[in-house]
Amino acid sequence: MTQDTVAGARSAAPRPSPPSPPPRREWSAHPGAIAGRVVTAGALAGIGLWTAAPLWADRHWAGLACVVAVTAAALAVYLSPKRLPGKYLFPTTLLIVLFQLFPIGYTLSLAATNVGDGHLGTKAEAVTAIETSSVRRDPDSPEFRLTVGERDGALVFLLTEPGRRDVRLGDADGLRPLPGARTNTGGRVVEAPGVRVLTAAEAATRGRELTRIVVPVPGGGIRSQGLTRAYQGTAGSRYDASCDCVVSDGRRYHADEGEGRFVAADGTALDQGWKVGVGLANLTAVFTDSRLGADVVGVFAWNLGYAVAVVVVSAALGIALALALHHPFMRGVRIYRTLVVLPYAMPAFAMLLVWRDMFNTDFGLVNRLLGLDVDWLGTGLTARLSVILVQTWLGFPYMFLVATGALQSIPGSYLEAAKVDGAGAWQRFRAITLPLLMLALAPLLVSSFAFNFNNFNGIFLITSGGPFPADDPTVGATDLLITYTYRMAFGQQGADYGLAAAMSVYVYLIVALLSIVSFRRTNAFREVDR
Amino acid sequence: MSREMLARHGFAVLVTVFALVPIVFVLSAALNPLGTLDSTTVLPNGAGLDNLRDLSTGTSFWTWYRNSIVVAGMTALLSVAVSALAAYAFSRFRFHGRRVGLVGLLVIQAFPQFLAIVPLYVIFSVISDTWPAFGLNSVWGVVLLYIGGQVGVNTWLMKGFFDSIPRELDEAMLVDGCTHRQAFTRVILPLSAPILAISALLVFIATINEFLVASVFLTGDGQRTLAVGLYGLIAGERNSSFGMFAVGTLLTAIPTVLLFQFLQRYIVHGLTAGSVKG
Amino acid sequence: MRRTLSLLAGTVLASAVLTGCGGDADTPSTAAPGTTLVIWADQRRADALKPFAAAFAADNGVKAEVVAVTQNQQQTFVTASQAGKGPDVMVGAHDWIGNLVQNGLIDPIQVSDSEMDGYVDVARKAVTYQGKVYAVPYAVESLVLYRNTELAPDAPETVEDLVAQGERLRRTGKASQVIGYPISQQDGQSGDTYHMYPLFTSGGGYLFGTDAQGDPDPSDLGVGTPASIKAFERIAALGEKGSGVLRRSSTSDNASAAFTSGKTPFMVAGPWRLPDVRTAGTKYAISPVPGFAGAGPARSFVGVQSFFVASKGANKALAQEFVSTTLGSPEVADALYEAEPRLPALKESLEKAAADPDVKAFQDAAATAEPLPSIPQMVAIWGPFNTLIHAVIKGEPVAAAVTAAGAAIKEQLGS
Repeated sequence: MTQDTVAGARSAAPRPSPPSPPPRREWSAHPGAIAGRVVTAGALAGIGLWTAAPLWADRHWAGLACVVAVTAAALAVYLSPKRLPGKYLFPTTLLIVLFQLFPIGYTLSLAATNVGDGHLGTKAEAVTAIETSSVRRDPDSPEFRLTVGERDGALVFLLTEPGRRDVRLGDADGLRPLPGARTNTGGRVVEAPGVRVLTAAEAATRGRELTRIVVPVPGGGIRSQGLTRAYQGTAGSRYDASCDCVVSDGRRYHADEGEGRFVAADGTALDQGWKVGVGLANLTAVFTDSRLGADVVGVFAWNLGYAVAVVVVSAALGIALALALHHPFMRGVRIYRTLVVLPYAMPAFAMLLVWRDMFNTDFGLVNRLLGLDVDWLGTGLTARLSVILVQTWLGFPYMFLVATGALQSIPGSYLEAAKVDGAGAWQRFRAITLPLLMLALAPLLVSSFAFNFNNFNGIFLITSGGPFPADDPTVGATDLLITYTYRMAFGQQGADYGLAAAMSVYVYLIVALLSIVSFRRTNAFREVDR
Repeated sequence: MSREMLARHGFAVLVTVFALVPIVFVLSAALNPLGTLDSTTVLPNGAGLDNLRDLSTGTSFWTWYRNSIVVAGMTALLSVAVSALAAYAFSRFRFHGRRVGLVGLLVIQAFPQFLAIVPLYVIFSVISDTWPAFGLNSVWGVVLLYIGGQVGVNTWLMKGFFDSIPRELDEAMLVDGCTHRQAFTRVILPLSAPILAISALLVFIATINEFLVASVFLTGDGQRTLAVGLYGLIAGERNSSFGMFAVGTLLTAIPTVLLFQFLQRYIVHGLTAGSVKG
Repeated sequence: MRRTLSLLAGTVLASAVLTGCGGDADTPSTAAPGTTLVIWADQRRADALKPFAAAFAADNGVKAEVVAVTQNQQQTFVTASQAGKGPDVMVGAHDWIGNLVQNGLIDPIQVSDSEMDGYVDVARKAVTYQGKVYAVPYAVESLVLYRNTELAPDAPETVEDLVAQGERLRRTGKASQVIGYPISQQDGQSGDTYHMYPLFTSGGGYLFGTDAQGDPDPSDLGVGTPASIKAFERIAALGEKGSGVLRRSSTSDNASAAFTSGKTPFMVAGPWRLPDVRTAGTKYAISPVPGFAGAGPARSFVGVQSFFVASKGANKALAQEFVSTTLGSPEVADALYEAEPRLPALKESLEKAAADPDVKAFQDAAATAEPLPSIPQMVAIWGPFNTLIHAVIKGEPVAAAVTAAGAAIKEQLGS
């Protein structure tokens, strides 16, 4: 999701902190406190029960154990007079573990596999898919009319054929006549001795069972196709556990556990593969695959440049406007301020799409208004300028607001004193206004940088990362690491989640490093230690 | 008027025009009776509510609208609440693992959630099996997910602000025999109204703009959010749906503007601690 | 994996409530009792399918739910199916087949040869993959040339003829654009292989050769060959540095807008533009996309809209019943055609529909068309080829661009 708010920690001056009074570690005997505890215990237990009930019903013991553990932990934390910090941190911890920590761990585990198109599932799933899709209908198979019946709890086929009056019963033992059954004109069996005829709805609820039935007949088997039809066919491929191979039309495809595919002696492989571990191959691909490595370095350089440029340009514009309006004789300041802040209120995702249309060479508003014929998003340089411009449009109002606030809070006495000392306007600005402005803006600049470094929407919705060079369509001129990675996993070129996960890990490491560095610079770590 | 003032106004007008042109364009597209992109000019060439009518009758726009308000509102509210609790603990208690927790939070929040969309999908499909109310295609599931993605950032943001509130204030209360909970609710929370407001606003804006996660998790027409719905509107028929899209864009801005107005008095203070949008 | 996930899942609810989100409000109910057939389709087809799904459900005493998936349909289907949360029936284009088969997500449809003979050849060919039928086709789409008969009364025989007519109209001020020819994808950022294919084939190009079975052969790549360079040189002559007839700013969308507003006499588009054209009241006629003078015919790609049975759907038997029995029936085919006028894949319905001269024109135009390759290797084509189109139309050196694209495709095929 959009990483919108990256905290710029307030850099408050460190001050000596008096020791905390020792927390009270006694049960409060106050009636209200007792009642509070009873309510808390009840609520937690209730939630635990409600959560556990479906797991109990599904006989899902592991899940149940987990719910019990979490509920117990919650009870321990919230009912004990101790563990004060725990009371405040419990929900956050739970959320972070579930929706941040776990996905990160999972991503790491994916990075060590070849998961992607053709290798999504397990080997068993691949075998099932191979066998199922190898079933071929015999060209001369009769068009059986199927009625689903039930005998002794198991499903059976009641089959008729066009042009034949008799009904036959099919089950795992084979096909045999079923005298005494009655059919309607459409060939559907309405009554059969010893068999309960199922309605369509009943048969549908037992669909899984139905699709697994194969009635063995000489030269193949009869299988259902839907609820009312059956056909005779043969499975062309079969998995043989003894050789760990698939025998398909007389050829053997042996399982290659390194690649996660069934491969024949001549190197041809079956389409359906499975997920296997590839160790560090995906993670090292950036270093071993020279083109991938070069791409990533190029993208990283532009990514850095983009984030810096957006921050600098939008801050400069915001500050410049704030300065222009910051004058005692300036009129209409309120009107300017209201209008300029409007871009901030507009939904960004929609405005990004609008900007994209405005940059169209022949029909776009930008060229129409300026009387130009520039191919804005078609060449690398102009596309880069365009995305920076758009992000500036989105970002500068906020910078302006903050700069305005900061300017107003600069004591006039400072500037007066400097004036008395004979400092010129420019000197006063350089020596007093700008440093104070930067102090106020610093956290915002840092968080703006962190946000724009991963500004997925800002690129994806305008250029999709393009324009792309003809010889390397995997990397575009405006690609950020994050859009580059996203396309790797979900792009047109077929999903490669394993490699994309490895890339995510790198993107993540870079961003984490950047945020640590920038937070260190804003004194955040001093606060950690306070 | 002096030349300096003229220059100042000139610059301000220029910037204002830059800020307004796309918005005026959207406005004129929204009013454009033809409702197409190519027939839209910068200044309105007609005024009609046809696009609004089409949007209301031809799509589930108001359902999306409601979903977006619920999702963004709940996410903002709950993530601020949860973060404030954690921030209080980090700001006022000294406990084992505090440093690890804080640094860990900072490092963990740097992970862009949507890069892990496949793992998240698997988690939610398991949740769906057992508790469908919080699983796929449920706005509540997405709310949880968003909170999980925002809570780290907000905790940091608020902890910084809480640190700047003199400890003497709440400690005086503790000495007077109040509990930590009372110190938290009676001293810290009222004093940090600006940061709570700014955090809520930023989360609200981030959430209402989010479309990658939402487009994967909320597929049913009744569960879609504005970002997903509006994007879908022009993904296929860009030109002919542009008028409807423009109306939708303007209507989407309304809750943000209202919230902005409502929280304005806090924002001046909270602003410097806040962040950017996108 | 699912086990450990369940562990985590167990904690979610606890956290949900601890954070105050008790789920007591109007929680949307997702699980309905009984059997529910779930069908996924894009928005337009979802609307068209709803009545049939409802009728089918009523007949069989089950429930049916049609869900509109607005974007990334194939990707969403793959992710959801793999997680066990996919639909029973998926509606999509036939060229997904290769990818869905390699991911083990769709089942073959077991219908008799005689039943398949009921479908037009190109549709039957399109849904057949490695000798098996993987989908039930219902609509056939290919590109045609629309022309505004008030501006251009005669159908152009060749591209040159078309350009000459268009230029004449432009000089006299009757039109501002020679043709609405979609060059870019909707996002404007890359070329549109689908729409460029007719010109490419007329110029002598092809993407993949054919193997003995008649399937596309990935070992025979037609991009980067001298023939493909020649084809693109003819295309480049129409590009922005050439006559300027083809421009990157043109997408399917604004081409249609230009055509319906009378700004251009011609448009290359599929049947999905017909409603727009009719609504606009333009006097139009439909003819095949012309080829270059003295060159081969302009073959367009045929996309066949199809119904797939999901391997991992919860109600596979029901899905098979719906797809092969109900959807394959002429009544449904007729009704779907009524809901949205695309060429029915079923011969019987097509014959009825062909009473409409437009349908007849589409049918004639489709005669030289060929199915979009459904082999998974097609994913290697799209990116490089789309980029190549932009480079060529922009006016970059043709031979270098084509060679580079060929190399890029080869590299992806190799990996």
